[in-house]
Amino acid sequence: MTARPAPSPAAPLLAALTVSLALCAPAHAQANQSRANVPPSLFQTVGKKGGTLTLSIVSSPQSFNYFAVLDNNTYTVMNNVLDRLITLDPLTNRLYPALAESWTFSPDGRSATLKLRRGVKWSDGQNFNADDVIFTLVDVASNTGLRANQSAVFKIGKDPLTFRKVDAYTVRVTAPKPYGAMLQALTFVPILPQHKLAKYQPLRDPDGFMKAWATNAPLSEIVGTGPFMLGSYTVDQKVSLVRNPNSWRRDPRGTQLPYMDRLEYLIIKSPDAQIAAFRAGQLDSAPITGAQFPDLKRQELAGAKFRVIRGIGLNNPPVHWAFNQDSRDANLKKAFSDLRFREAMQLAVNRERIIDTVYNGLASLPGHGVAPISEWYTNTRSYLRSYNLGQAGVRLDGLGYRDTNRDGIRNFPGGGPNVEFNILHAADNTIMPGIAVILQSDLGRLGIKVNLQGITGSTVLPTALAGNFESVLSTFGDQPDPQLRKDIWQPGGALHYWRRSLQPAQEGGTPNLAAMTPAERRIHDIFAQAEALGNQAQRKRLYTEWQWLFARNLPVILIAKPDSVAAFHDRLGNFYVRDNRVISSNYSVFEK
Amino acid sequence: MLTYALRRILGMVPTLLLISVVCFVVIRLQPGSFIDQYLEDPRVTRETVELVTRQLGLDQPAYVQYLTWIKGIVTEGDFGYSFVNGRPVSSLIWERLGWTVFLAVLTLLVSWAIAIPLGIYTALNRYGPGATILNFFGYVSLATPDFLVALLLIALVLNFGGTNVGGLFSPQFIDAPWSLAKFLDLLNHLWIPMIAIGLEGVAGLMRQMRASMLDVINQDYVRTARAKGLAANRVLWRHAVRNAVNPLISLAGLSLPSLISGTIIASIVLNLPTIGPFLYDSLLNKDQYVAMTLLLFSALLLLVGNLLADLALAWADPRIRFE
Amino acid sequence: MTAIPSPAAAPATPRATSPLALALRRFRRNRVGVVSAWVLAGLYLMALLSGFLAPYSITAQHPDFPNQPPQRVRVIHQGQLTRPFIYPVEKTRDPVTFASTFAENRERPLPILFFVRGDDPARYGYNILGVFRSQWHLFGVPQGTAFLLGTDKFGRDLLSRTLVGAQVSLTVGVIGVLISFSIGIVLGGLSGYLGGWVDGLIQRTTEVLLSFPRLPILLALSTIIPARWPSTWVYLGIIAVLALIGWAGLARIVRGQVLSARSVDYVQAARAVGASDLRVVLRHIMPNLSSILIVTATLALPGYILGESALSFLGLGIKEPMTSWGLLLKDAQNFETLSLYPWLLAPGLLIVISVLAFNFLGDALRDAADTQSR
Repeated sequence: MTARPAPSPAAPLLAALTVSLALCAPAHAQANQSRANVPPSLFQTVGKKGGTLTLSIVSSPQSFNYFAVLDNNTYTVMNNVLDRLITLDPLTNRLYPALAESWTFSPDGRSATLKLRRGVKWSDGQNFNADDVIFTLVDVASNTGLRANQSAVFKIGKDPLTFRKVDAYTVRVTAPKPYGAMLQALTFVPILPQHKLAKYQPLRDPDGFMKAWATNAPLSEIVGTGPFMLGSYTVDQKVSLVRNPNSWRRDPRGTQLPYMDRLEYLIIKSPDAQIAAFRAGQLDSAPITGAQFPDLKRQELAGAKFRVIRGIGLNNPPVHWAFNQDSRDANLKKAFSDLRFREAMQLAVNRERIIDTVYNGLASLPGHGVAPISEWYTNTRSYLRSYNLGQAGVRLDGLGYRDTNRDGIRNFPGGGPNVEFNILHAADNTIMPGIAVILQSDLGRLGIKVNLQGITGSTVLPTALAGNFESVLSTFGDQPDPQLRKDIWQPGGALHYWRRSLQPAQEGGTPNLAAMTPAERRIHDIFAQAEALGNQAQRKRLYTEWQWLFARNLPVILIAKPDSVAAFHDRLGNFYVRDNRVISSNYSVFEK
Repeated sequence: MLTYALRRILGMVPTLLLISVVCFVVIRLQPGSFIDQYLEDPRVTRETVELVTRQLGLDQPAYVQYLTWIKGIVTEGDFGYSFVNGRPVSSLIWERLGWTVFLAVLTLLVSWAIAIPLGIYTALNRYGPGATILNFFGYVSLATPDFLVALLLIALVLNFGGTNVGGLFSPQFIDAPWSLAKFLDLLNHLWIPMIAIGLEGVAGLMRQMRASMLDVINQDYVRTARAKGLAANRVLWRHAVRNAVNPLISLAGLSLPSLISGTIIASIVLNLPTIGPFLYDSLLNKDQYVAMTLLLFSALLLLVGNLLADLALAWADPRIRFE
Repeated sequence: MTAIPSPAAAPATPRATSPLALALRRFRRNRVGVVSAWVLAGLYLMALLSGFLAPYSITAQHPDFPNQPPQRVRVIHQGQLTRPFIYPVEKTRDPVTFASTFAENRERPLPILFFVRGDDPARYGYNILGVFRSQWHLFGVPQGTAFLLGTDKFGRDLLSRTLVGAQVSLTVGVIGVLISFSIGIVLGGLSGYLGGWVDGLIQRTTEVLLSFPRLPILLALSTIIPARWPSTWVYLGIIAVLALIGWAGLARIVRGQVLSARSVDYVQAARAVGASDLRVVLRHIMPNLSSILIVTATLALPGYILGESALSFLGLGIKEPMTSWGLLLKDAQNFETLSLYPWLLAPGLLIVISVLAFNFLGDALRDAADTQSR
């Protein structure tokens, strides 16, 4: 370690090397030049070992059992302890080997054979092999008795995938029909140790299994293959992890990862307290938003010991504005179901001002159902239209929404009541109330009265899903593969809440196809077809058509997609921006 | 007196039942349920959602859920299961109770220790500049919300390069064993919540004490005592202060439940490991048995506080009799 | 009694004046109290005339001037004394920090005019007492914009919003205290004086009320109150909710006081000679309570003003585009604001001033009403 040359002259060379790797190496073949077995894009430079990385989570983890709870804090902590078969390269968002070293996809698109990495050990010294994978996929992840099971991604329509052990280091996944998102689905599942958890018999006693690895369980029982393992947990204050001595990850020089000896998560609920802890040097990195960016950036320029960076993310949830097309109010139902009315509404959305005012300029125009940096994206920007109140007014006049009783507010056609509706939104964040106030003001100038209905953020979606709204500002995160957002965008899907009348009469039934507009019917069919295709080019063609239909038919009006912003302490290496992506990982950052 | 106390304790049972019903209804009034978060996740099937609903007993009618819960408490002392954490409610509350009680009791002691002497001082020196300045600061602290005070204090500490900006310990001391250094670190962090949360209480108590003191000072028995030639100090403490504290005893009884629900927002801003934010989360997540247990516990504290206040009042003021 | 003023009559004069006049005289001697009374009178007058005093309508958004710092009123342009004017400003966004900065254009002074009528009703219109529409304002800069207290993130004039916000903030406490005190005093008094089953019933009710979980009730209410309710209904609804929850604590205090006052000799004497219950309560017990009531009331006022802002935070409460000091202050409670937009704290200053004034006034009234002090 001491004999190593200074990192600075080596850095450009290394950067060139990793770029060429990213370009030419197919994901399943390991390049021989570098000894790294993790995405090369994680390394801006080769790091050195030692130090403690301190991050934050917003609440105590609900459990350490990944499949017992839906809890981001649990996931954040356990993602350092457990590994997936396949991960995504943070630069390209393409598949990258993890516990599966390589894979082949059969030409008919129905099965994949995965070769597991040999020599991987659990943190308690036991060997990792195909039995762990089969136990996790069959007994746990597809086990519908578990609360946070992932059977949804392991099904095509109603038919489940099957998993089979070929030998101790080979696993085969088979689908009844071609399934294009099969490998993507595997990136969700962390592999659990069979030797620790099989005794809870998850298939026979799901309740008992979900009580395993609770937050008061002995931490030595909780083992993984990941870079870290649990060290200690102080309720509501801190979760500490320590280096896993058996970690299989290597950097480009072959040094064992992680670089950091310890990883600590302070439990800090309020964003303000997180920023305070970050500025006081207690946190190495803090999650920030566009609202906080200018203040912190200014301090960075004034010599503070941290850096603030921005990039474009894939998952960052874009905000959409949805109208209840099954509104109980007949007039509103008619207006909201009319594409021309929604087009007029879109003309009244001042995206430029919203991005400038609400996001401090740190957001960009959204895609339709697909993130603009995704490989599935097609440029539908022209259909976002530009802000034009005058033209919106002309359109409304043409549709008969005129101010017939001369009180300054338009009336529904034929001398109906005033055009007035609510916008439901989360009241307890910085973004939604801002967008709502701007929409209210612009629609007011257009002669439409808007009432703001701000409620606690966590109740917005339940209220919308229950059909208890007139219009709503909400968000759904984007995913790498459109198949994974089918429930939202496919008419009749469980989360397609602005058209509840299309949802099947009973759960799992066929949606109400007869009530669909031609465009909705086509979108429904596109999702059904693409799901059962193994050919990625054909899937891409279908999803491209869907995005155009989305952009033209405005099931919802997309407003803006926030940028990724991050703040981190100066002493961290390998925390950087490349090609507009904010890149870092807990095992590749190091203390300079 | 004993029978009175017993009667009151028995009287608490129907009150608590009534409160638990009201709490349950209010929690159910909010739209949505714990299950909703599952709907949003792309990995969860409808089938799972239904299964979880059944597992948690949420498919039962509301009154059945309520009665099952109450039955569990009465027959087995079981306060139900947390939907969120998959653990019994009582163990979750238990592990958070320590710091909560510590902070609440400390805040109470600090605010009484400061407020009572200040109240007496401002009553005795009503027109002095000292009293006016104290009043002024008291009112200013009343007029600023505690979380804004917390925010300003943190901003101030940050600007002076301090690191004690929230929580009770610096990160390295959180899971360290107790030592002198850890204790000093605790003290270094403790003064911010004491100021932010305690100050409001100080101002209020000081005002009450001053008013009460002024009332008492001019009562006949105080003047009589003074006329009798008793030492001024003795009159002040034995007669005036003892009587002036009475109205504040009722207030103290009321402040017990703030142990749980008080200062939730300030606790969040200051990142204190207390039970308040836990209650807030359970309400937002609709983790109904955790929320119900905490609310019921808070109601019980209030009733007990009330009873203690009444008993203390009777002890401090023999003129009050219970029939 | 006698029309002839005589030196001997002078010492008798105080006896002839009513207790009220006496109290008033004692009140006038308290300088802090008098100043507070005037400050409050000024604030209420300001609230009444706020539409006229404010240069803009509270809903007028100026998209080109979000988060603009306060502009300075100047009287010297290029070394020459002129009428009051301001320099226009222009916004640029820093390409690195993404912070917006505003630069003054020193070439072109814009004079401030008095008693101006704004042309655009959307920017300048306001209601007087909810009846008359007007576009007249005390001052304005017709050739440009003038934001003397700066703007919020939507480019709305903070001065106008603060002035108009006073209408809500200054009345919510007073009305709320009136409602909760009338309930609290009556029920607390009855409970303490009558005792027996009445006491038991009222005490149980207050206990249930006090242990009512505030947070879930407010969360539930925030989703139940219809969004279409006009702002004034919502406003009245908030006051009613706050007051209906708020009376129980007071009832307990009153009861405790009545309990101890009831056993005082002169009250027992009054009852012995057959004075009616009502007379005993009004003439003998209530006067004893007045000082603690005044103090409790003045202490409760800031609670209502701040409580209203907490409600706004939960989504129940004053709604955009209506405004109140609590709602305005809510926008200022984070680090970015403290360091980048500190002028948004201005409504907080008014909260502090009004609460201070209420408290000092309460103090002075208490001292004035205290008949036994010398």
